[in-house]
Amino acid sequence: MNLNRPQARAYLPQRLLALLLLGVFGSSINAASIELPPLNDPASSEHHVGKVIWVDLATPDLAGAEHFYGGLFGWTFREIRTGRIDYVVALLDGRPVAGLLQKAIPTGEHRQPAWLTFIAVSDVAATSRTALSNGAKVLAQARNFPSRGWQAVLADPQGAVFAVLASSSGDSPDFLAAPGEWIWSALIANDPDKDAAFYQALLGYDVFDLPSDDGSEHVILSTDNVSRAGINGMPHDSARRHPHWLNFVRVVDAADAVAHAVALGGRVLVEPRIDRHGGRVAVVADPTGAPVGLMEWSDTDSKQEPK
Amino acid sequence: MTTLTERWRMIALGFLVTALYACAVGGGYDGGDVAVAGYYEPGGYEYGGWGPGYHVGPARGGERRPAQGGHSYRPAAPSRSTPSIAARPRGR
Repeated sequence: MNLNRPQARAYLPQRLLALLLLGVFGSSINAASIELPPLNDPASSEHHVGKVIWVDLATPDLAGAEHFYGGLFGWTFREIRTGRIDYVVALLDGRPVAGLLQKAIPTGEHRQPAWLTFIAVSDVAATSRTALSNGAKVLAQARNFPSRGWQAVLADPQGAVFAVLASSSGDSPDFLAAPGEWIWSALIANDPDKDAAFYQALLGYDVFDLPSDDGSEHVILSTDNVSRAGINGMPHDSARRHPHWLNFVRVVDAADAVAHAVALGGRVLVEPRIDRHGGRVAVVADPTGAPVGLMEWSDTDSKQEPK
Repeated sequence: MTTLTERWRMIALGFLVTALYACAVGGGYDGGDVAVAGYYEPGGYEYGGWGPGYHVGPARGGERRPAQGGHSYRPAAPSRSTPSIAARPRGR
């Protein structure tokens, strides 16, 4: 087929379509390069938009992370290796609680590992559009992992990075987290008021204002009459000025957990301290620097404010 | 001959588009600057400054709420007390 210029122009739409198909086909191959397990097996029929349902950690030292988190929380790990991807699912009593990915920090870049918070949505594409129209950025477009679901990575208007996930296996029922499970998530933001408006527009949260005793802003986001997360103002004297999500694992004794974390190669970022609910919280960094919160929570339904 | 060249050009362009697309979406678990699970925060930040009374945890339920108003968000109705986290233990 020897084409002159007018003929070539006539075939342009077909060529562009062919290019597009090649691109989509190629990206499908990319997305299918790892088969992530479902969040719930057996699948749950429940859906809780706005609930934190998963967390992932990219780490330059996967073996070290397994040693640290396994030792600290009693997690075990199931390897999911596909080609050059090293990804493990952390389990507690056989239930998936987190994902960890081996990934080198780009050479020459001053970055540190951080847990990525996944929030339940019903439609990732629609949520991404709403986020964009409310000032967020899409860092990773929606993509489908058939057993896991559709997910995308976003940065809220103040720059805190989070992910949204429409789980293929539904959302886990609302149970009290056991020790070793994630119990709470806090967004540390420059302007909690505006961030609360953003997440409310995105996920339909009910928003409750509960200022801290030091007068700093603290709002609670809830759906289904269950608290899902909090938003705090940046601590006044913090050198950490980058808005971020911080997730907390339930522990029996925060002081013991901190000591254990240090013995495993971690370090203390926030010493154990009494919080609003009457239990202690602390923040430690794993050996590669990823912050993780620790939170005590007694089973007794105390409504006493901490003194 | 020209047809063959045209086809190879199209294939090459297709692979180029594929590669560019993969980079643009961040590469997911395969790499990229910001991947689905491969997010790294900017470095050089430290925690600190959590002074007395700086609370990050959830409410126990039923806590008093201050008068609402002047927010960017729509506050929950004043008649509603702040809910707590899920209280039902697994398996019960």
